[in-house]
Parts: sequence; C-alpha cells; structure tokens
Amino acid sequence: MQRRYRTVPDLKAHESARALAFEDAALAGKLTAMGLLPGTLIEMVRSAPFGKAYYIKADGVRLALREEEAASIMIDV
Amino acid sequence: MRGSGEKLVRIALVGNPNSGKSTIFNQLTGLRQKTGNFPGVTVDIKEGRLRFPGGREAMLTDLPGTYSLYPTSSDEKIVAAVLANRLDTHFPDAVIYVADATHLEKHLLLLTQLLDLDLPVLLALNMSDTAAEIGIRVNTTKLAERLGIPVVAISGRTGENISKLISETEKLISGNSDRAHKRFYPLSDVEKHVTEAVCLNLGLKNQYQGLLVAHHHGWLPFLSAQHRSTIEAIVHDKDFASLRAQVDETLDRYDRFTPIVQDAVQHPPQFPSTPTDRIDAVVTHRVFGPLLFFVVMLLVFQSIYDWSTVPMDLIESFFSNLNIWLKALLPAHWLTDLLTDGILAGLAGILVFIPQIAILFLLVTILEEIGYMARVVFMFDKTMRRFGMNGRSVVSLISGGACAVPAIMSSRTIGNWQERLITTMVTPFISCSARLPVYAVLIGLAVPAKRVFGIFSLQSLTFGSMYALGVLAALASGFVMKKILRSRELSYLAIELPVYRMPHWKNLWLTVWEKVLAFVIGAGKIILIISIVLWALARFGPGKAMELAAEKARLEAARQHLPEKAAADLHAAYQLEASYAGYLGKVIEPAIRPLGYDWKIGIALIASFAAREVFVGTMSTIYSIGSSEDDVALRQKMKSATFDDTGAPVYTLATALSLLVFYALAMQCMSTLAVVKRETNSWKWPLAQFAYMSVLAYLLAWVVYNLFQNSAHL
Ligand SMILES: Nc1nc2c(ncn2[C@@H]2O[C@H](COP(=O)(O)OP(=O)(O)OP(=O)(O)O)[C@@H](O)[C@H]2O)c(=O)[nH]1
Repeated sequence: MQRRYRTVPDLKAHESARALAFEDAALAGKLTAMGLLPGTLIEMVRSAPFGKAYYIKADGVRLALREEEAASIMIDV
Repeated sequence: MRGSGEKLVRIALVGNPNSGKSTIFNQLTGLRQKTGNFPGVTVDIKEGRLRFPGGREAMLTDLPGTYSLYPTSSDEKIVAAVLANRLDTHFPDAVIYVADATHLEKHLLLLTQLLDLDLPVLLALNMSDTAAEIGIRVNTTKLAERLGIPVVAISGRTGENISKLISETEKLISGNSDRAHKRFYPLSDVEKHVTEAVCLNLGLKNQYQGLLVAHHHGWLPFLSAQHRSTIEAIVHDKDFASLRAQVDETLDRYDRFTPIVQDAVQHPPQFPSTPTDRIDAVVTHRVFGPLLFFVVMLLVFQSIYDWSTVPMDLIESFFSNLNIWLKALLPAHWLTDLLTDGILAGLAGILVFIPQIAILFLLVTILEEIGYMARVVFMFDKTMRRFGMNGRSVVSLISGGACAVPAIMSSRTIGNWQERLITTMVTPFISCSARLPVYAVLIGLAVPAKRVFGIFSLQSLTFGSMYALGVLAALASGFVMKKILRSRELSYLAIELPVYRMPHWKNLWLTVWEKVLAFVIGAGKIILIISIVLWALARFGPGKAMELAAEKARLEAARQHLPEKAAADLHAAYQLEASYAGYLGKVIEPAIRPLGYDWKIGIALIASFAAREVFVGTMSTIYSIGSSEDDVALRQKMKSATFDDTGAPVYTLATALSLLVFYALAMQCMSTLAVVKRETNSWKWPLAQFAYMSVLAYLLAWVVYNLFQNSAHL
C-alpha cells in the first residue's frame, strides 16, 4: 500500500525533513517532551551498527531513537 | 528557622536529564550529602545540606532528571509522584530549576509545569560557560520578567555565580524575591470538569495538581484504593482521553514559552561546527564503533586488574600481618580467634574489593561524563533487547567481570524496570575476579598442560570457556526471563546524545566516593556477619568433638614425628573436620555426591557462600597445608585425595570440571544477594536468583560430571 507521508526511517543519511505529526500518542508524549515537535527540523545522521535504531538531530539536538520511535514520526515529503 | 526542633526548609533540584543538576548539587552540598532509598521504589534520591552564608540551612534534594511531569520510566515517575502530592515527605518548599542555557528552547516545558503547581521556583541557567563560548546570549532580566521568576545564569563547572544562586535561593525561601508568575496553561473544558471533580473529592487546592492526579491516578502511590476508583469513575464519566490531552497540553506549553525564549535569547548567526559530529562519525560508525567499544572495554578490564593488584596485595598483607601480630599479642582464647579469624578476616574480605570497585567506577563515570555511554546505549540497544535487556546493560555485564556488586549498582541507569531487573538478575553469571583463584587451582589440577594444534594451551582455553560459559548463561537467562516477566511499563530508547565534554573532576571523585561507601555500608555489613558465622561454624563443634580432634591430632603428630608447623596444620585439619562446618559438610555429602564431591568439598562449598575466593583457603586447611601459600602443594594433596568409603580418587577430570561449572554458575556471593535486595527493595528477587542459579549450577555440574565420568570408563 502506498503511504501518503514518510516517516523518519525513510530519510537517507544527511537528509532533512520537518516533523508533521505522530502516529502513536504514548510515543508522542515522550518525543514532544524531549523537544521533538511538529515543525521540528529532523536530520538523519546514521543508523545504528546493528540496525533498529537511528541517530538523528532534531533542531540541532542529537537524539537516538528506536525503530518504532522513529517510525512514529511522520515527516513531510 | 535555625536551631533544633524546627523542620528544615526543603529545596528540590529539578531539571531535564543532562542539564547538570548533579553537578550543581555537588557544588552546593560538597560532601554533606547522602543517598537515601526512596520508599517503595528503587531509585535513590540524593539529599544534602545547603548552608547559607548567614548560617541558616536547608535540605537540598536532587530529584531524577525528567523532561516532563508525564513520566515514561520509574525514575521519572518519582518526580511526578513527589510533586503531585503536597503531603509527600520530599515535597519541596521551593525549587531550583536547572536548565541548559545552550538549548533553552527545549528545556522550559517542565518549568512551566512547576509554575502551574504554584511552587516558588528559581531558574538556574546552567552551562553559561558553554553558551558564552558558542555565542549564545541570554537576557536574564527579560526572561525573569516574562516568566515572573528570578533567573540566575550559572555554571556548575566553573562555579560562576554559584554564590549568587545561593543568595537568590535564600531570598526565595524567605519569600523576599519578587515573583509574580501567572498560570501558564489554561485547561481545556474537559480538563476543567475532570479537575474540578478531582479537586473536590481529594480536597486539593491547586488545579494543576488535580489534573496531574487525574492523569496519573492509575499508579500514584499516595492514592487510596477508594480515591483511585472515584477518580477512575470521574475520568470515565467525562470521557477524558489522558494521552491525547497530555500531548495537547505539551504542545500548548511550547507555543506559549517559545516566543519568550526567542525574545530573550540571541543565537549566533551560525552554530560553529562542533568536534562532536566528527568524533561520532568514528565512535558510532557501523564498523569502527563496535570495534572501538571492544577495545575500550578490554582496556577497562585490563586496568581493573592491573591497577588493583598492588593495593589489593597491600590490603591483604596489612590484614594478615595485623592478624599475626594480634595473635602473638593476645592470649590464646576463642575471643582472640573471633577478633582475628572472624572479624578481621571479614573486614579484609570487604576492604580487599575496594580497589576494584573504585577503579571500575572511576572508569565508568569517566565514560559517562564525557558522553560515551549514551553512544554505547545507542549502538547495542538492539542486541541487548533480544535478551530482555537494554543498551546500558552492556556496561553492567562487562563490569561484572570485575565484581558483580558495583556492576549491579551501575544498572541503576536503566530506566525500564524490567530491563533493569533482568540485568540485575543475570549479571552474577559473568565470571568475576573472585572466581579466578578457584579456576586457577581446579584447572591446574585437572586439565593437562597440553597444547591443541600446537598453539593454544588447553588450560587457557578452559579459562576462556569459563568466561564464555558465564556470558552464555547470562544471555540465555535474560532471554528466558524476558518471556516470563511481563512489564506494563513501556520501554523507550529515545535518549539524548550529549556533546562530548571533558569530565568534571569533582563529579568524578564524589561519584566514586559515593559508590564505594554504598558498597562498604550495604554489602559490607552482610559479608562481615557471614564471615563471623562461618568462623563460628569452623571454630566450634558439637559436644567434646573439638577436644577429641585436638587430642587425635596431637597423638598422630607425635606418632609421625611431625615438625611443629606440620603438626599445627594437621591440628587445624582435624579440628575443621570435627567442627559444625565439617559436620555440615558431611550432612550435605549425599546431596553433592552425584556431582562427584565429598564432604571436604562440601565444607568449601558452604564456606564459599560468603565469598567464593574462600574456596582455596578452605581447601588448604582441610588438606592440612593451611600455613603454606602454595597452589602446587594444594594441588598435589588434592590429587591424592580419595573418597572415605570407596577409596576411589576424588579429583578426577570429571569432578574437577563439574566443580568448575558449579563455581562458574552458582550464586555463592552473599554481598551480591545483599546488593540485589537493596536495589530491588525486596527479598523476592535475590531469593529467586539464588534458587535458579543454584539449580542451574547443580544440573549442569551433574551433566558434566556424568558425561566425563562415563567417557572415562570407555
Ligand atoms: N560546560 C559545562 N558543563 C557542565 C556544566 N554543568 C554540568 N556540566 C556537565 O554536563 C554533564 C551532565 O551533568 P550532570 O550533572 O551529570 O547532569 P544531570 O542533570 O545530573 O544529569 P542526569 O544525571 O542524567 O539527570 C556532565 O558531563 C557535566 O560535567 C556547566 O555549567 N558547564
């Protein structure tokens, strides 16, 4: 099925996009509290050596997110 | 307020993780701090006395770092539980809110929540040194005006403005500071209805407190069951979607304080590129990252052994000299023995661990302080999650290679309760330094000094396998426990990767000091008690047994014309056999016979319960070479040992291997159990750990014994 939006794991290394919304309320609570909001500029830095986690920058703040956490953040195309 | 009788004013440090709270706490309290266990949960709260220049004092509490009053882990829950309950013993009279001045736009959410709780708050803008360096300028006057609270720019690292922070704090608690803060977040209609009903039912005055109770009624520890169900009904009745409301509230708060920050903070046109990105390109690299981690851990390991040998030898020789000196000085009496062989030996057993614990925590804290640990968590999170653990567990497991006690204490950094529990439960499987002397004797005894394929020595291969066995057992039981334990708590990785910084030395020393103290007080007591009990078991026997044994030894020594030293050794051996310990060894012999052990090994097993390293010493006494320090002599004695009834040799390859497996896997460390009890706040977990580790050790030792026993007959 074709999705109409992308999520953070779709970003290639060093690609940036703005966060739009969250897919999961519990994760949204955690991420917004950490300062990752709709409108935040997200840059993909790299994925973890063994996969399943991402190193990103959210408005310049470095964060590590699990696959599920990253995939719950919708970003603009 | 000065003087006795009156309650100390309580001030809490609140802030996001990594905002530098602990650094400021250390600045404000120095060594006047202690760590107390928070009742009912397992997170420690640090408290210390803050002394104002006028002589007045206040109690300063360092609450765990959290981003919001909507917590996602057990340590974050503490902050919400304390602040949502005005009757809590830790509820502060005033709050110092610590924020990172370099990322102020991300650090004020929690502050605005505190404002709505009507707490007297002071904003400490920390890391001002770094902010100035990268060209961030904060207009504190404007910020203070817009937020309606006092604001002080400080640096926990350079100590800049700390005295101003103290004087502002004093003003705050005297009610002399000008604060006029308004409510920050206007509740939505649903929130208003729910909150009004909750406040009415619980007799709360503060609206936001009511809202917090409504959100958290499921777990807040201070609510009675009746209140809980009343609130449940209210929430249900009003159709209150808690999670949704939390997110909306958070976003609304950002909308309100972001303009304030933008107004008061001037950013440089361009952020200078930091070394952190260049360092991380290597440190978290797909290939170099794990490789570097491996090297770092090897170095840590190596240092623990290298640097601790000298101080450990010094401690040991100090105590053995003190022992000899006291024995010569004091009359031969059981009280003397109690002092020397019981109490002093127990003390030595505690203190001898201190060098390793101090070095380990020094290194781990350095790695933590510079920001490396967050990267380890990121890299190994997936691997460890397979085994029911968390990225942070790697650190605990590796530390377990030195000593499980500090390793388990270091698992506190794991937020998720289940992951932390599993880490705590499996860490003792990792072969610690106390097992090394046991391995050395047994491997020397049973494994031929041959080489395989001409390169690998069979003995060092066996050594390596013992470590591998431990790691395997740890991971496998983690995997099993993950299937059994079910946690309602969500598990998150979401972690900030801080910029790399030089360690702050004062933080380092205070942390190491705190951990060593925790070990000496927490585990030390138990080791001391157990070693006194063991001493008594070995020193006294039923009825006249001890006197008879002494007489028998004297006659035997005379018959063989033994020199004085050998006679004394023989005496010690006979006495041990006749003592309660020897008696117990014989009692458990039937139980351990299937593993190939006799009652002499039984005594050593019982003695090893206090600490494994006792094995070698106990075996030496049993085989009456107590006074010689020599492994080789012990091995020869053990080689010629036979079973009392059948006359068959005891130490076959099968027995030795079975003993090795047993020592690798069994829970034989009272201090570890004590620490697990302390960290989990219940006897349930240490008992479960003791049971499953012992059962596993017994079964595998049995399997190994039978495998090799039978193959030897072939
Ligand atoms: N440059 C600078 N670094 C600081 C300052 N205060 C603290 N740090 C460093 O920031 C890091 C985090 O400090 P901590 O005191 O451990 O932070 P915390 O808020 O207690 O963190 P948690 O324990 O995660 O809650 C450490 O490496 C400190 O050395 C400061 O004023 N300036």
